[in-house]
Amino acid sequence: MGNTKYWKGLEELNNSPEFVQKANNEFAEQIPVEDFLGDGNLSKDNGTNRRDFLKCLGFSVTAASLAACETPVNKAIPYVVRPDEITPGVANWYASTYFDGNDYAALLVKTREGRPIKVEGNDLSKVSMGGTNARIQASVLSLYDSSRITGPMANDAPATWSSVDKEIMNKLTSISAKGGAIRILSSTIISPSTMAVIADFTAKYPTTKLVTYDAVSYSGIIKANEQTFGKAVIPSYNFDKAEIIVSIAADFLANWLSPIEYARQYAMGRRVSKEHARMSKHYHFESNLSLTGANADERGPVKVSEQGKVAVNLYNAVAKIVGGSPLSSSALACDAMIAKAAKELTENKGKSLVVCGSNDTNVQLIVNGINQMLENYGKTIDIENHSNLHQGDDAAFAELINDMTAGKVDALIMYNTNPVYTAPSSSKLADAIMKVGLRISFSDRSDETARFATYICPDHHYLESWNDFNPKKGQYSLSQPTITPLFAQPRNEGTRQAQESLLLWAGLPTDYHSYIQKVWTASVFPMQGKYMMFGEFWNNSLHDGAIEVSTGDEKLINDEADKEGSKKEEKKKDKKKEEKIKEEKEVAKVDLNAAAQKANGMKGAGEFEIALYEKIGIGTGNQANNPWLQELPDPISKITWDNYVTMSPADMKGKYLLMERQDREASLVNVTVNGVTVKLPVVPQPGQAKGTVGIALGYGRFRAGKLSQQVGVVGQNVYPFIQMINGTMSYSVMDAKIEAANETTELAGTQVHHTMMGRAIVKETSLEDYKKDPMAGNHPEMMRTNSGQINPNTVDLWNEHEKLGHRWGMTIDLNSCIGCGSCVVSCTAENNVAVVGKKMVMNTREMHWLRIDRYYSTEWSAEVSKAKEKADERGEGLVAMYLDMENPSVENPKVVFQPIMCQHCNHAPCETVCPVLATNHSTEGLNAMAYNRCVGTRYCANNCPFKVRRFNWFNYNESPDFTFNPTQDDLGRMVLNPDVVVRSRGVMEKCSMCVQRVQAGKLEAKKAERKLKDGDIKLACAQACPTNAILFGDLNDEDSAISKLRRTDERNYFILEELGIKPTVSYLTKVRNCELEEAEKEEAKEEKEKA
Amino acid sequence: MDTVCIKSQKQIPVIFSFLFLSIIFSINSVSAQDGAKLFKQNCAVCHSLGTNKITGPGLAGIASRVPSDDWLIKWIKNNNALIKSGDSYATKILADNNGAQMTVFADLKDEELKALVAYIKAPPVEVVVTKKDENGAGGKEEEKGVNPLAILIGVIAFLIIIVGVLRGVTHSLRNLQREKEGQEEIEQVGVWRELKIWMGTHKRTVAVIALFILGGLLSASWDGLMGIGVYEGYHPAQPIAFSHKIHAGDNAINCQYCHSGVEKSKTAGIPTVNVCMNCHKGISKGPSGEKGTAEIAKIYAAAGWDADKGAYTKAPSPIIWTKVHNLPDFVFFSHQQHVKVGKQDCANCHGDVKTMTTVKQDKPLTMSWCIDCHRKTEVPGIKDNPYYESLHAKLKEKFKNLPKEEQVITVAKMGGIECGKCHY
Repeated sequence: MGNTKYWKGLEELNNSPEFVQKANNEFAEQIPVEDFLGDGNLSKDNGTNRRDFLKCLGFSVTAASLAACETPVNKAIPYVVRPDEITPGVANWYASTYFDGNDYAALLVKTREGRPIKVEGNDLSKVSMGGTNARIQASVLSLYDSSRITGPMANDAPATWSSVDKEIMNKLTSISAKGGAIRILSSTIISPSTMAVIADFTAKYPTTKLVTYDAVSYSGIIKANEQTFGKAVIPSYNFDKAEIIVSIAADFLANWLSPIEYARQYAMGRRVSKEHARMSKHYHFESNLSLTGANADERGPVKVSEQGKVAVNLYNAVAKIVGGSPLSSSALACDAMIAKAAKELTENKGKSLVVCGSNDTNVQLIVNGINQMLENYGKTIDIENHSNLHQGDDAAFAELINDMTAGKVDALIMYNTNPVYTAPSSSKLADAIMKVGLRISFSDRSDETARFATYICPDHHYLESWNDFNPKKGQYSLSQPTITPLFAQPRNEGTRQAQESLLLWAGLPTDYHSYIQKVWTASVFPMQGKYMMFGEFWNNSLHDGAIEVSTGDEKLINDEADKEGSKKEEKKKDKKKEEKIKEEKEVAKVDLNAAAQKANGMKGAGEFEIALYEKIGIGTGNQANNPWLQELPDPISKITWDNYVTMSPADMKGKYLLMERQDREASLVNVTVNGVTVKLPVVPQPGQAKGTVGIALGYGRFRAGKLSQQVGVVGQNVYPFIQMINGTMSYSVMDAKIEAANETTELAGTQVHHTMMGRAIVKETSLEDYKKDPMAGNHPEMMRTNSGQINPNTVDLWNEHEKLGHRWGMTIDLNSCIGCGSCVVSCTAENNVAVVGKKMVMNTREMHWLRIDRYYSTEWSAEVSKAKEKADERGEGLVAMYLDMENPSVENPKVVFQPIMCQHCNHAPCETVCPVLATNHSTEGLNAMAYNRCVGTRYCANNCPFKVRRFNWFNYNESPDFTFNPTQDDLGRMVLNPDVVVRSRGVMEKCSMCVQRVQAGKLEAKKAERKLKDGDIKLACAQACPTNAILFGDLNDEDSAISKLRRTDERNYFILEELGIKPTVSYLTKVRNCELEEAEKEEAKEEKEKA
Repeated sequence: MDTVCIKSQKQIPVIFSFLFLSIIFSINSVSAQDGAKLFKQNCAVCHSLGTNKITGPGLAGIASRVPSDDWLIKWIKNNNALIKSGDSYATKILADNNGAQMTVFADLKDEELKALVAYIKAPPVEVVVTKKDENGAGGKEEEKGVNPLAILIGVIAFLIIIVGVLRGVTHSLRNLQREKEGQEEIEQVGVWRELKIWMGTHKRTVAVIALFILGGLLSASWDGLMGIGVYEGYHPAQPIAFSHKIHAGDNAINCQYCHSGVEKSKTAGIPTVNVCMNCHKGISKGPSGEKGTAEIAKIYAAAGWDADKGAYTKAPSPIIWTKVHNLPDFVFFSHQQHVKVGKQDCANCHGDVKTMTTVKQDKPLTMSWCIDCHRKTEVPGIKDNPYYESLHAKLKEKFKNLPKEEQVITVAKMGGIECGKCHY
């Protein structure tokens, strides 16, 4: 630990002059007093003079007092007839489900006076297990998106439902009569009822076919499983049961398949305590530094083209040990790590897991081969209880494009998809779509694809809809409307649920609610044995939101009309009946050698390869109009409001590219692939594989909504870079041309400001060390005094606080925190945190109460010591030494994440400097902030060692410069939490530890005349955490989980406790499952000797 | 002694019998008066005494319609049984009302039923109350009154004029005298000059007066500044002249009947129109005649109720009330905390609403006012609510050495005046 140097960015490592200067200033930029005073006219010539100032002062004082004298007249409008379930001022909770074709989570939706204001995870779901991610947390704001269209459109003009329906039905009937092809293009549908609706629709118009297409496809896995097992499915993975996890570029904690589920499992497998001092070991091979790679114990950067080879070499290494026949292979730089991983994998047969993010069927076949050799099927991989997420079929999509281009398709109905934006450039999709006679879109806005549609029949938002979901075999959940549709008669023509539209066009009754009940009566109800009556079963399912049923071999999806589908299923059934032996024979049939040859054959053609990836905030880009997500810093680069090229610093050298100040300014490069060129800023990324750059998908949406008008199009679209290789979409670009554009652009990063000045605030240790000494990595810094060394915690300038009532505390397990940012968005939603936009983030004025610090760490080695000696000889300082250190370390640094919010210090430095006592300590241990008292001196921010205080430089809620802020939109304002004040200009704010939730929890206990139970109060960040890393409770309650933990866990520590500030928030040391570095071993020896 | 004793013994039965009679008398009298009360409690929601139909038919001329009083009593007590028995008139009524059955009142005693029937058969003629203070005109009249400040200014102006005139008179009188004595006339000195001369000679008095004036100005501006944002006494006009005096005062309706959220939510809630209609379906006239009827008609308009047809026929529209008690946005206040947990009476903060025709803000609702109360009030339930168990023990221990009256555990002693309790 003592030998590890942590740095927050290359600037700090390089110790550039700008960085040093900034580190010395509290507010990184010059404070623009002139701008602050007014519109800039005042300061035109030589600034404001004294007389003007006095005039302004006099006028504003008079104006303010005059304005204050006027009695405000507030109106109160009660309901005419109050709905039984609503008590104004009391929140109602409804179980619902989020699924956008990509992310799935069972939810509880908090509504106030009929408005959903917050979504939280539903613990009853066996799939999402109470977790959520940033995108799902932000989805509640997407409901109140004023860019949604409020009624049907025909040829880009508003129309009425009756006319649109009539025209569509006429056209469909005539197409169907002449035998013309009708295609429904949709992202993955996991709703049995929707499938039944499509079946009904197909019955009416028999030439209908469903084509499933996902923006980010996993059809390579499906195809590989079809070849290996005869089952075209995505299996369920159990990361919690795996002792050894090897991931080849599968970002399973952030995006891959079902990240919320995997993150929870992963954290369960890595929770350590003295009694249970074991955790899974995670090897990761990848090109970009992903969130998952950042959490890995050992990480090997490999080029995109080498990912297949890694799989082959791993196969061979495992085969060598278990005695299988090797495949043809080529040597790799990381073979040593592969061999090590293979050794540990074989030692943990049946308790290991190999996953791969590639969408190449051949690579996935080899990965299946590895898992078979390791006997993981039926243990850590469950192919029986398969996942239904991501059913996208790339080949079918390609066929559809060909058909459309050839003019063979007469009608195209698009549901929950935006293919013109997400399809590869080669497909020329816009042209193809225009060749279809009848184009119908269910999109909620006139997006990149819907603008080509003849008719847009806007669907409800998921919070306005009924639907059912079957994310995994045997797992069901429901969604129910939590608000009456925002756009409805008589004010607008209104939106309409897509399923109802289809039913209407099929000439059936349109009540989708009873339709779902009908489907469930036939399909789900018979699979459970708990309830006798359907009504009871339905009500309980709706109440719980998520249910589990036993499946056996029943057919789940009601797609009788899809005859081909049912034939396939029959075939599958036949196969199921056959014994396992036969399956194994089938496996033998798969020619892994051919697959290996193809995987090895991947070669980068140019100087650079590109690995396209999804960011945890924007994902596939379907919520690109959501300012909360745009402002969420990327966990790794910490950059907001943009996508960019991540490049290895080694690759950037000699290219005249800007390497310093990556959080503010970056060089632009032209990236050319398949003749498509985009201009993007380039950012040096430690850990990036040399020769490969990373670019995020999901940006560059020019028709996402009002945000693109308010702040311009955010980032560039790189979906056109996708190529179809071997019948699947490939997110790896082998041949990219990157040229410096000799321009620079601005980037808004949150990375280097708020520096911790190199103090040891993240503590970590290795599992080996932890087993020997639970205090490992967490020995307190001692203070020298006359009477020997003492722990600074025992010295106190102030008196202890009384132990009365409650004393709230929080502990964050750094071993569980994966840095995903779900808590950040949850906090934003709960506490009405303002969105400030790119410019203000650049001015270091982001408002997030909770940030996640990301530190890279570099191991000191003998080499480094030499570097130090050398530098000393040359008479150079630390800067030169750090520069020397860069070479081995920047290639593959270790990463730690640390959520930082107000630490609620019991001896808080901010409290003592406030001249107006706006911030002070409560008897419950919270550092309270009275906004109405604050006069904005910002002394507190200056005195805060954690830099967690946020100042409202502008009136983000009214100023015309911040129109993108949800509070400035009539609809967006509905998302505000009515229990929390919206702060105005000139006021300091910070984490309140969700005091509104604390007070509400206490009040419930008082009303019920009972003691407050541990767990009654859950903070917004804690409930959003997919890995349960945040624990909150009453420290004065001896039996609370947090009290027990603080008493017994040696990993518990407080940041900067040597300052004597006594924080309330504590952290648990991060434990890595890796061997001791030699230097560390030496240090350990020395320490022992000292002891 | 003895005789006295005997005498008093003789008196006992007399006293007893007197008491007995008076009790019987009082019971009888209560029953007789209760006819009206019973009708209001049980019947008025569905029946009017006139001819109009509410939910049930109007009761005017009932005596001539029904077979007998006994039948009527049986019907009221258990109409269901009467219908089942096959009574012809009962089945006819059921058919007339589209099979909608009347509520069964099995709990009513025979005497009560008799009183009720007597009342229904001959309801007293309604007396239209014309007292001004009851229909809310009192407040307005006060506003029309002459402003005392204007009177004061008038008086002062009058006095100044008199002083001026008198000065002129004395001056000319003095000159007259001088003329008589053969002296020269004195020119009249201006008021200001004279004042200046006086001030020059009376510096100390002037200084004292100046200090007083300065002090007065300062205190007035201080008061003025402190009063910014304080709206004590604010009583805006409401869209409907709803009188709390009539509802909560005269009719003694419990506050929570209408403000039902008070124990469940942070807001007590303004009653929705359907709550008004619970009673006003049957009560279409106010005690003050024309005006009340017009105001109640506004409720009907909001609810979409057609009083003649006895049905909701029109589109409802909400009533837009003017909020009387406004707290700033940066304050979190919870009614349930104060009423349900803190066991506070509504009147503590809202004043004696039962006497208010138009509701006014009775208390200043300033922070110092809140804190004053938190400093004085003992935490209700601190001894018996299990939530406070350990806190109570610790606080008791902490304050045990204080004088008895300071041992009271007030809200403030529990942290009830900390910023973070109300401002977040």
